[in-house]
Amino acid sequence: MAEIGHGGKEIVERILDPKEAPAKVRGLKQVPVRSQIANEVIGISYGFFCPLTGFMGKEDLDSVVKRMRLKDGTVWSIPILFDMSDQELSDYGIKEGDTICLTYHDNPMAIFEIREIYTYDKEAMCQSVFGTAESKHPGCARTYAYKDKFLGGDITLVTPPKINPPFDPYFIPPLEMRKRFREKGWQRIVAHQTRNVPHTGHEWLMKGAWFQTYAELPIEKPLVGVLVNAIIGEKRKGDYIDEAIILTQDELRKSGYFGDHNHMTSLTFWDMRYAGPKEAVFHAALRTNLGLTHHMYGRDHAGVGTYYGPYDAHHLLATVQDELNITPVYSMNWLYCPHCGEITSEGLCNHKNEWQKFSGTLIRSIVEDGVKPPRLIFRPEVFDLVMECAEKYGFGSPFVTDEYLAKRTPVFTIPPLAG
Amino acid sequence: MAEEKYPINIWVNEERYEKLKEAGLAHMCEEMLAGMKVIRVYANAAQRDKILKVFPTAKFDSATTKSIELLPRNVKDKIFDVVVERKSVDVLDEFLKDY
Repeated sequence: MAEIGHGGKEIVERILDPKEAPAKVRGLKQVPVRSQIANEVIGISYGFFCPLTGFMGKEDLDSVVKRMRLKDGTVWSIPILFDMSDQELSDYGIKEGDTICLTYHDNPMAIFEIREIYTYDKEAMCQSVFGTAESKHPGCARTYAYKDKFLGGDITLVTPPKINPPFDPYFIPPLEMRKRFREKGWQRIVAHQTRNVPHTGHEWLMKGAWFQTYAELPIEKPLVGVLVNAIIGEKRKGDYIDEAIILTQDELRKSGYFGDHNHMTSLTFWDMRYAGPKEAVFHAALRTNLGLTHHMYGRDHAGVGTYYGPYDAHHLLATVQDELNITPVYSMNWLYCPHCGEITSEGLCNHKNEWQKFSGTLIRSIVEDGVKPPRLIFRPEVFDLVMECAEKYGFGSPFVTDEYLAKRTPVFTIPPLAG
Repeated sequence: MAEEKYPINIWVNEERYEKLKEAGLAHMCEEMLAGMKVIRVYANAAQRDKILKVFPTAKFDSATTKSIELLPRNVKDKIFDVVVERKSVDVLDEFLKDY
């Protein structure tokens, strides 16, 4: 049975048979890639980025920038680009029509069939994708850091990544994910995008979205699941460490705040662009490919600073909703009301003067102090696990430090080519 | 016009609460987030700016709480110790003298 992904295109894994791989890479020029490109090679090869089969050529890029669509008309909002400097192109002797082998951690990772080499106006790209050309916007900074030329062409994975503990159970590519959803009997699955350790405000965002997604379905047996899809990519100092994020999200299921019948945790390799509305549209494509039917969007989804209005993402999604195969679930904020004595939604409770709002920064400050919050705010199992992760993986801190960046075990490695 | 003040939230567990009681400061604890106890040490604008400069991990939460957050634990421990020693929350001038 064909698995249909974003844009109505079939999801096809672009992974070489291990028996063929050594012969295919023999004699190819080997070009090392950085982590962002390795993450995107995985995204392309496993179908997370369906219908993309490789890095974008100029026509696709131009169409994404000007129309938020690929050249064939499929809605697509974020450029997926491979860059090289003129010097590197010259040193490697790379030209259009070449096939090269991309390496990561010194081992062959993928074959790249270079169809074209081109330039593009980075400022115009920023203005369109991020709504600003300011270099202090992290997405713009990433764009301006691209080298002189872009290379477009198809990618085929030659060596699947080895996902290192404790992340290994959580890498579930689209075709496998869809199989698991069928096994669970879920008819609707709602995506929770996260880069956080969950407090109960997050927990209730998921619970609220679960109710919204359930809607008119019969309740005799579990038909709706929440998929936590953690974004794993470049880390910044002060972020929660990846190990704490993925393990605590799953802890909500293990400790019974959810269960196997309605909750799953997974990860996607992606370096956030903080493109707000455009990133929201990208997330819709990504989660469609993972087999999700619904997607949670809160205020200022994937935004940064004050670049986007709280509902800009919702408005942009509405303009392409008919072309997306995923239904947005819009979430209001959850908060603690001392009058109600419970976590409640700002759309429900009217004790506005008494509200105690969750602030991510405030919660992080409590965690930093090592003071255990009440279970209404932060589940004790989650707090204990954060502290355990700090010792086991974070060199004493649950937050990213220079030491963590220098010494951590990579989330994935590329093993040597067999044979 | 009164000078604007920016709090540093020092979260209070049982051990800290006992020390505050001994210092006669327990009544200064406030409750935030479902009864979580906090004692606030207030900075003026100049002190806030110095703190953000001296401790680069610290962040001024301008959006929600208007407080100075994410100071390293050992820094907060030191501020707390000065509060208990001086029996006062007006200690930032003294604390920042060392930086």
